[in-house]
Amino acid sequence: MVQTILFSLADALVLIGVSLITIGVYGMIRLPNLYTQLHAASKAAVLGVIPTLLAAIVTLEPAVVFHALLIGALLLITTPVASHAIARAAFLRGERPGLPDDGDRA
Amino acid sequence: MHQIIFFVALVWATGLVGISVGSLVTAPSAIKRILVLDTLTLILVAVLALFTAAQRVPYYLDAALVLALLSFVGTLAAARYYGEGRVF
Repeated sequence: MVQTILFSLADALVLIGVSLITIGVYGMIRLPNLYTQLHAASKAAVLGVIPTLLAAIVTLEPAVVFHALLIGALLLITTPVASHAIARAAFLRGERPGLPDDGDRA
Repeated sequence: MHQIIFFVALVWATGLVGISVGSLVTAPSAIKRILVLDTLTLILVAVLALFTAAQRVPYYLDAALVLALLSFVGTLAAARYYGEGRVF
């Protein structure tokens, strides 16, 4: 009984994670601006990787739990720093985000 | 059912890795290439986590940990070199 509930939970977490990674990759390819692409890629991909790590926790014995939690915490800490570094580098090289009201409206 | 879902998710994530590699090859600028490479490593970490859960072998998570750390350091160094012309 508990095994069935845990396996269903792992399946749901894997589906959530893979869908979120798919949304992130789609946004990274299709969005118009580097900053919006960065927004889609970093947030959606990290929020998709963490449920897959939680699925690995749910399915296996407690020996793996430490590793998966360590990787999850590491990603939560390091990915905002890396994204900020990418955005800062793009800004320093002169790339400016286009504003939505940049047209000829008075 | 359980094994089928994990297998389909593994194949799907591998397809996402292929799509990211295609986007990496056709990226217009170096900073976009850095961004796509960072995302590609994140997807590879997810693939390794799926492999761990599907095969019941815990050793893939060590590789995922090392990959996440190296990706962070590499992205930080490349972005700082692109933006400021120096790393430190």
